[in-house]
Amino acid sequence: MVNSQTWFIVAQVLGLITIIFEFASYQIKDKAKYFLTTGVGSFFWMFMFVAIGLATGMSTQLSLLLAATYSTIRNLVFYRIFSKNTPQSKEAGLIFLLVMIAIAVVAGTITVLNAPEQVRWLHILGLFAALAFVIGQYLPGDHYVRVTVVFYAVVVLLTQTPLNILEGDFRWNIMGILIETAKIISVIIFYARYSSQPKKPQLTFVKP
Amino acid sequence: MFQIVSDGGSDFTQEEVKKYGVEVVPFYVNFDDEFLKVGVDISTEAFFNRLSSEKGVFPKTSQPNPHDYVEVCETYLKEGKDIVLLTISSKLSGSHNSALVAADILKEDYPDRKITVIDSLNGSVAQGLILREMIKMRDAGYSLERTEALTKEVMKTTRIYFTLDTLEYLKRGGRVGPTTAFVGGILGLRPILQLEDGEVSQLDNVRGKKNVLRLIKEAMVGALEDEKEKVSISVGHILSEKEALSFKTSLEEALGIQIDNPITAVGATIGAHAGPGALAFAYCKKYETLEGEI
Repeated sequence: MVNSQTWFIVAQVLGLITIIFEFASYQIKDKAKYFLTTGVGSFFWMFMFVAIGLATGMSTQLSLLLAATYSTIRNLVFYRIFSKNTPQSKEAGLIFLLVMIAIAVVAGTITVLNAPEQVRWLHILGLFAALAFVIGQYLPGDHYVRVTVVFYAVVVLLTQTPLNILEGDFRWNIMGILIETAKIISVIIFYARYSSQPKKPQLTFVKP
Repeated sequence: MFQIVSDGGSDFTQEEVKKYGVEVVPFYVNFDDEFLKVGVDISTEAFFNRLSSEKGVFPKTSQPNPHDYVEVCETYLKEGKDIVLLTISSKLSGSHNSALVAADILKEDYPDRKITVIDSLNGSVAQGLILREMIKMRDAGYSLERTEALTKEVMKTTRIYFTLDTLEYLKRGGRVGPTTAFVGGILGLRPILQLEDGEVSQLDNVRGKKNVLRLIKEAMVGALEDEKEKVSISVGHILSEKEALSFKTSLEEALGIQIDNPITAVGATIGAHAGPGALAFAYCKKYETLEGEI
């Protein structure tokens, strides 16, 4: 029998793998490759919650597990859409995006309504950050996704600060902090690399 | 001596047709069982005004039939002239096929005459640029064979890009889905399309008209600045002459050259899928710079 201590260690390993993929994804400009990399990252992230659930009880991890499953499916479907890049796949992608937004709004609204009043503002901010990130991922160009992921990561980190302390019920999630911090650091490094490289034109035409 | 004939895809005006001594075989447009010859029965401007005013209607454009080509070419064959026919990309229309059928018919009746059909693999202002180079070759006294060979070299250097004001007409034509058109409209996305190997493909999506025109100008300068004296450039529009003119002026300033070709009204053939507000940008190498290639 695998004991809870072992599952906890497995969860930490899965968390470290998630960090590697999440960090790598924000260094990638190609949209399809980005979605594949972050999709693999969220796949490990999903299993991290399974492992934590096996260590501490699945009921405490259910909402996070659902969120991670939602991210994994979203990222991998977007990967297929962007790698095919046909009018049909784009249409399917947009319909999928709208469904994802609707799910996020419903889930986020339920969370906000159930949140204690003192920290409800933080959950409202979280809902906006999640929506902005889902849309930002889909928008063309290099910047929307990176700006919105930093916004999202900052809001998630805020939930790990004393701002979210409620009657002493404050649970540190070190791995969660490391994952979100890795995204922010990755974006900073991306822009540091980007600014030191000669600026390439966004659009190029073929020479005659 | 040979006669140059093009289908309506080259977007030449009636004045240009007369001025340059070419013949144009028009396309048809069908508004609810009403078949009209574009440029003959309905002007380009009237076509687009009708397109934007009749919301639920999507007119179908159809290619000239072989008989239309036979009718136009026969006059010149009777005069003892050979014929070179330039058509819109065969991947966009059946016009090239009609021209080939017509050429086969005519070769039986006029076995001593040469009839050459060239698939431009382009359309609109890009096909117009190729046609202009052919006219210059004819005026320079080139033979039909040399004109054909050099035209194919010019075609290899020809590029065309479009930006659209709205996704509505791509939606009406079934080229994008309704969700893409709806969301694209909300986000203010403007697609940049290109003709690649004779087919339309999407190059990019850019937010905002100013932004898209800035990027296109930068991309054109990047592509052309090394050989700016060797290229012929054309700018086209659909009911957006002012914007096309302003773009042409700013491109002239950026490249430091004079663009000789006039601003062209994009015709119904491609325009039906692009809609009012669309702008087209095309360039190719001048034929004289390619003489060494063959």
